[in-house]
Amino acid sequence: MKMGHLYTTREQYTPEQLKEMKGKYSPPELVCCTGSREVEDREVVFVGIGISDLAGAVAKLVHTPNAILVAEAGYVGFPSVSVLISPADNSAGAMAMCHQGLPDMFIDQQSALIDVSYLGFAQMDKFGNVNVTYIVGPQIKMNGSGGGGDIASSAGRVVYTVEFNPRQWVEKVDYMTEAGFFDGSPDTRKKANLVGGGPSAVITNRGVFRFDSETHELYLAEVFPWQDDEDIEEVKKSFPWDLKVAKELKIIEPPTERELWALRLMDPNGQYIIASIMDRPIGKIIMESKFDLEGYDIFLGLMERAAREAVDFVT
Amino acid sequence: MEITGFQTTNYEDRVKDSVYKKRLNKVMTEKDAVATFLHDGDSFCIGGFVMWRQAESAMREIARQKKKNLSLIDESGDLEGIDLLVELGILDRIDIAYSITRQVGGISGTPAIERCLKEGVPRPIELGGVLATPEDKVQSDVPPLKIVDWTNFEISLRFIAGAFNVPFMPCRSSIGTDIPKYTKEIKVINDPYENKPLLLVPAYRPDVAFISVHRADRRGNGQIWGFKGTDYWKARAAKHVVLLTEELVPTEKIYENPGLTIIPAYCTDAVVHLPFNCLPTGVYGCYMSDWIGFVANLLQRQTREGALQWVDEWVYGTKDHFEFCDKAGWEKIDRLAKSEHKLNRIPG
Repeated sequence: MKMGHLYTTREQYTPEQLKEMKGKYSPPELVCCTGSREVEDREVVFVGIGISDLAGAVAKLVHTPNAILVAEAGYVGFPSVSVLISPADNSAGAMAMCHQGLPDMFIDQQSALIDVSYLGFAQMDKFGNVNVTYIVGPQIKMNGSGGGGDIASSAGRVVYTVEFNPRQWVEKVDYMTEAGFFDGSPDTRKKANLVGGGPSAVITNRGVFRFDSETHELYLAEVFPWQDDEDIEEVKKSFPWDLKVAKELKIIEPPTERELWALRLMDPNGQYIIASIMDRPIGKIIMESKFDLEGYDIFLGLMERAAREAVDFVT
Repeated sequence: MEITGFQTTNYEDRVKDSVYKKRLNKVMTEKDAVATFLHDGDSFCIGGFVMWRQAESAMREIARQKKKNLSLIDESGDLEGIDLLVELGILDRIDIAYSITRQVGGISGTPAIERCLKEGVPRPIELGGVLATPEDKVQSDVPPLKIVDWTNFEISLRFIAGAFNVPFMPCRSSIGTDIPKYTKEIKVINDPYENKPLLLVPAYRPDVAFISVHRADRRGNGQIWGFKGTDYWKARAAKHVVLLTEELVPTEKIYENPGLTIIPAYCTDAVVHLPFNCLPTGVYGCYMSDWIGFVANLLQRQTREGALQWVDEWVYGTKDHFEFCDKAGWEKIDRLAKSEHKLNRIPG
């Protein structure tokens, strides 16, 4: 079975349709649905949390029913019952094939059993090296590798799913947390004795970027139908280096009805599609200071309904 | 080179540390367990993983007992407990993969660590041996909080090496990145068999591991449902193991599902029967994470004044975990349990 890549042409749409489509989808919807097409059936997929979990979940529900989803804390083969806020969430435990430990997941990964993994990032350079640890700027920010450093070292391939942000592209990362292709020289990952193949794609709402098989340099490979030359020029300007663009840019088919349905099934409350916590269901409860039993009833009721709907579907 | 947190343990050393492990009845209160096993200057870890099955009540008890100069090692752990101990200046060193100033949807997830980083209050932060707090914010008489950067797998391997009682474990993560550059305790070698680079992480043997389990008997056989995290290894690496259990059961009940006993009695020093001890984190099959309570606390903890007020009210203001639950409200706690039971349930 092939990957779920779906392509189209710009000519299929009238200018009015393109204009309408551009405003129709939110950035996380574009990222999750396009990202979901990066998995092949029967692959083992290491999902993160939030957007990088949702992309895996949509893949499993829509494109690759036999994919095995795994989460860091030790949950294996879950059907995805709702979006994960933590890799140890109860919804990953529900109807999983196997409950194991955290090092077991990483041992299996180092043993080259994980085909593809979804990750996010804060900074990336030309050769896919990533920083999620420490950013120096007007505001100092620290985070840390989590499992990302292990995944980037050992997963078969890594698909980065992020909302496009011009600040995330840098000439040199402040701290290299996750290995890409280092300086881009041939066999650089082999020389470092890393198990995995490294980053294969960066999925954003302003197009899909891939890495040249010879030079390992990031290039713009695919764009959405509404991205005209002007838009692509703007994307290019966001990079501190002269970003290469594929000679024949592929045109990505916008999120399908089925993908959007899967996304809503996993995240009916907009836990991760809504950017600010204060606009999410939990934020509303807090804004209204509903810390009493009623607030718990409302919030937990929403989560329970979401889970039940998904469980009903996957069974 | 000396490793922080590890020394080879000979049989005689272990025997000296195993007085409590040989007891037939290890049941004690949380207060006694923390006082007995965790001393000023010690290192410790807690079980579970982000927002699930984490021994939060033990963290609050450590704060109540006003311990000093502790070191904590964890993968991508706990959000509330670490921040609480940082706020009170209890921790000297944190070995961790991911927890720092992460954003929980627009607000800081660990405001105390963020204050340390930006304002040096209560302590400046030293990351990878380099001062990360701006120098003008650093008071010379306040020792920095050392944060040492690892990946999740590397932290797991530190426990595994500790449990193996060997000084290091090799792995193939992070070779060529900045993690081994800043974390000097990591070594990259050419392995003697294949002559290729290999990364060595040093072992860690925490003084105490606080591990929350679903079921334990009085001898300390601990059973866990759902994800196992790194608890199997933490229990074997640590000098002393304190089990905090949702249910205290007769040993007959343990015999029914021996395959679920992750921590056998010979690892365990103390058993604390403490239902809902993981709140505000959840327990698979028992109760859901208390996101409302967690975020409400988090909002209050955004300022130092708010955080200290929260500590006064919820930690110093409650004498033990049950008073904490009284204050949180048992109706809400039952509601969290009901919610989890709709999705997952552990067999009777």
